[in-house]
Amino acid sequence: MSASAGGPAAGNGRAAGGRVPALLVTHAGLAPALLEAAKRVYGPFEGVEMISNEGLSRDALQERIVSIAGGWPAGGLVLTDFWGGSCHTSGLAAAGSCHGVVILSGVNLPMLLDYLHNRDTMDISTLAERLQQKGRDSIRVQRGPGA
Amino acid sequence: MSWLLHRIDDRLIHGQVLVAWGARLSPVRMWLVDDAVAANDWERQVYEAAAPGIEVHVVGVAEAAAAWAGEAAAAGGAFLIVRDLATARRLVEAGAPVGEFNVGGLHYAPGKTKVAEYVYLDDADRADARALLARGVTLEVRDVPASRRHGLQEMDPGVRP
Repeated sequence: MSASAGGPAAGNGRAAGGRVPALLVTHAGLAPALLEAAKRVYGPFEGVEMISNEGLSRDALQERIVSIAGGWPAGGLVLTDFWGGSCHTSGLAAAGSCHGVVILSGVNLPMLLDYLHNRDTMDISTLAERLQQKGRDSIRVQRGPGA
Repeated sequence: MSWLLHRIDDRLIHGQVLVAWGARLSPVRMWLVDDAVAANDWERQVYEAAAPGIEVHVVGVAEAAAAWAGEAAAAGGAFLIVRDLATARRLVEAGAPVGEFNVGGLHYAPGKTKVAEYVYLDDADRADARALLARGVTLEVRDVPASRRHGLQEMDPGVRP
């Protein structure tokens, strides 16, 4: 599997012109904090769902993800915090029983902002690849004097 | 070296296993012992790819019991993960002489009562725990290495013989 992996028919079934739905699945309170930060930068928005893994077994978390992503008629994006965490493995496992779901790990604020800017104009697969690149490009080392 | 950790965790391979225990003990292999995941091609692939740089084997209980002694003699360290006390008991009863299980995460479900923030048990769990303790298996409750270690029987009177 690559850094973005999808379930059956991932990214192929979105109705033309529809908004790509998204679900954030993270540890503790990271998802609401990310959405709040995104609202400070982007302005008010709606339509991004979120789940915390707090207190949930793998099966319970997977069920909650399916309860949202399984209802997307033409697929969507599940954004998780890190590769190998329960949010990610449960998201991937859930994608196996949904249609057209693409998983992106390592979500950060630049990725979320770019999703908001492009969710109404891009198809799921193109958007997922773009967000993967956006996330990577946003991580840079810069050194101050003497560093 | 080989076996470094036997863990009972209903999240299977996840952040605490990879980041906290993984960084402390540096396993080169992980054995995820779960009949349901092993029988599901999609989920097996999910877990085989979950731990970058670590060889992950996803196997059923019978295969794990048969492979246990070979892994014990292998070079490099290994983790073994099961989802619940019932699977741990089945593994031991199938012939894997595990001396200790780390109880790292058994989350809430209807009918289960709280033992710790991350450990909830029902009557069937307690019967499995008693069976393991009766065989001389130690059950340690600890989510991450930095947490204090407790015996399950100290925390829950229901598992005492």
